Amino acid sequence: MIKKLTLLIVVILFLSAQQGISQEWLVPADKQSIENPSDYNLENVKKGKDLYMTNCKSCHGDAGKNNSLALVPLPPDIASETMQANSEGSLFYKLSNGKGLMPAFETTLPEADRWLLVNYIMNYSPDNTPVWVDLPPVKARLKATVNTVNRLVEIFAEAENKTGNYSNLTETPVNVCVERAFGNLPIGQVLTDNEGNAEFSIPENIIGDEEGFVTVVVSLGEDFEAKKVTVEKLKIGIPKETPKLIKKGVIWSTNENIPMWMLLSYLGAVGGAWLAIIYVVFQIVKIRRLSKE
Amino acid sequence: MDKNTRRKFMKTLGASIGAAGIIGSSSLLSSCNKVETVAGDKITLLTSSGELVEVDKAMLKPADMPSLSENQKRGREGLPGKSWVMVIDLAKCRNARECMKACQNHHQLRPEQHHINVLQMQDTEDTAPYYMPKPCKHCDNPPCTKVCPVNATFKRDDGIVLIDNERCIGCRFCVAACPYSARVFHWFEPRDAEKYEGVAYNIECNVPQKKGTISKCLFSADRLRDDKLPTCVSACPNGVYWFGDRNEDAVTNGTTKETVSFSKLVKDNAAYTLMAELGTKPRVYYLPPKDRTSPFQGNIEEHHS
Repeated sequence: MIKKLTLLIVVILFLSAQQGISQEWLVPADKQSIENPSDYNLENVKKGKDLYMTNCKSCHGDAGKNNSLALVPLPPDIASETMQANSEGSLFYKLSNGKGLMPAFETTLPEADRWLLVNYIMNYSPDNTPVWVDLPPVKARLKATVNTVNRLVEIFAEAENKTGNYSNLTETPVNVCVERAFGNLPIGQVLTDNEGNAEFSIPENIIGDEEGFVTVVVSLGEDFEAKKVTVEKLKIGIPKETPKLIKKGVIWSTNENIPMWMLLSYLGAVGGAWLAIIYVVFQIVKIRRLSKE
Repeated sequence: MDKNTRRKFMKTLGASIGAAGIIGSSSLLSSCNKVETVAGDKITLLTSSGELVEVDKAMLKPADMPSLSENQKRGREGLPGKSWVMVIDLAKCRNARECMKACQNHHQLRPEQHHINVLQMQDTEDTAPYYMPKPCKHCDNPPCTKVCPVNATFKRDDGIVLIDNERCIGCRFCVAACPYSARVFHWFEPRDAEKYEGVAYNIECNVPQKKGTISKCLFSADRLRDDKLPTCVSACPNGVYWFGDRNEDAVTNGTTKETVSFSKLVKDNAAYTLMAELGTKPRVYYLPPKDRTSPFQGNIEEHHS
């Protein structure tokens, strides 16, 4: 009887789970009609795009490219009809509450950010004029050398133009970073001039490794398809201080760390006590001998 | 005459006991180093390349066991020139608890054991509650290492406080000494104990864990050796953790991979350390839970009387 009952329960659970996956994702009517409190403009769409890149892209892929992760059910492309059939309120409800493999972003993203994400999805709505147009990153070349005498990073940048030739990249910000244990620490930004050249003077107080060697990394912004340029280690920084944390001879519990004065005074005290006892015993023996005589 | 014979007797007795002891112990020792040898007896063995081979039993010799000492010695010294620090941004923590999950997986911890624990805090009844991840503080003046009677827990030159589970005798003095309750004791067999059977002990991640010994947050010292951020820092989805080398004054966010100046981050946000008044000099800094973007969803009221 119990066996049959458990089997029944398992079957029901399995069926309901199946249905849960295949069923359409229903959003309560009152949630569907909630209006987006943030405006649909370039700034908000851009912010939404940045959020999409860090939170959603890994499963949903790039907008309009149908390159989402092969999951069941398939995460729809945000430019697809399935996605765009949702009202803004429904999108907000769905990404807030999640379902199945779709995580609930209620716990990880603040409400304002979730609405910004909705803004980004609406950028691909057939009813809206897209305010953000994805341009393929421009191919660029970057060269950088470090002049150790003048403490200057000399940069030259060029980018592919419409004709497919490389021309000097003008008035473009170039980021200058120094390599650190887990990432590159930005130390400044320079604009290239009309010849595509830029010079960045290295601050005096850059911390290097133990000998003062610093690795400079130069990169262009996100709009460019250019590899970061890493300049070889050069002695342009101040040597990093490595204060010793472990002092030998502190009052710690083990012999190897004990201060010498403490060890000697301890041994002295113990030895003194033993000497006193031996002296007393010797004296008693002496008295005995004297009494026998 | 009488005296003389007794003395002689004692002398011979002593000498014979000594000789018997030496012979007995040496024969015992030699028997430990040999395997029973019966000529002609074959035994089937699986080689490391996956082949089955037959070997005469007389040929067998006990293999040299890999010594643990190299790993343990290396683990005591720390990474040269580094001084690890962690900055926890309380404003970002939304209790996702990914750090705890990742940590428990990495360090073979049971669900109730935490190297890092996200606590629900409320400083006074008038102030807002917040979430506070609490790892080991890796103090520069650690109370725990000083009370260890066997030198099992120690401070390294890169700032990390570690435990040698092979030395630990389970006295739990360090648990009593730690003001931050950072240490856990293995009362039971550690999680997945059978899975880690025979794995060489790594002092830099306390795996395999040992029942009856202490464990605590290690700043994922094994990952740091491979130039990777600690497990909790990498696992956080909300950008709570910054981690880096204080000597080069830079910390990197585990979520965004953004790198900033440590001193600037700490000064601009009025960072603090827990129980600074104790003089433990913690290495974990907290940024106050100001301008939080998500509401507190816990039930802190329960804990107030």
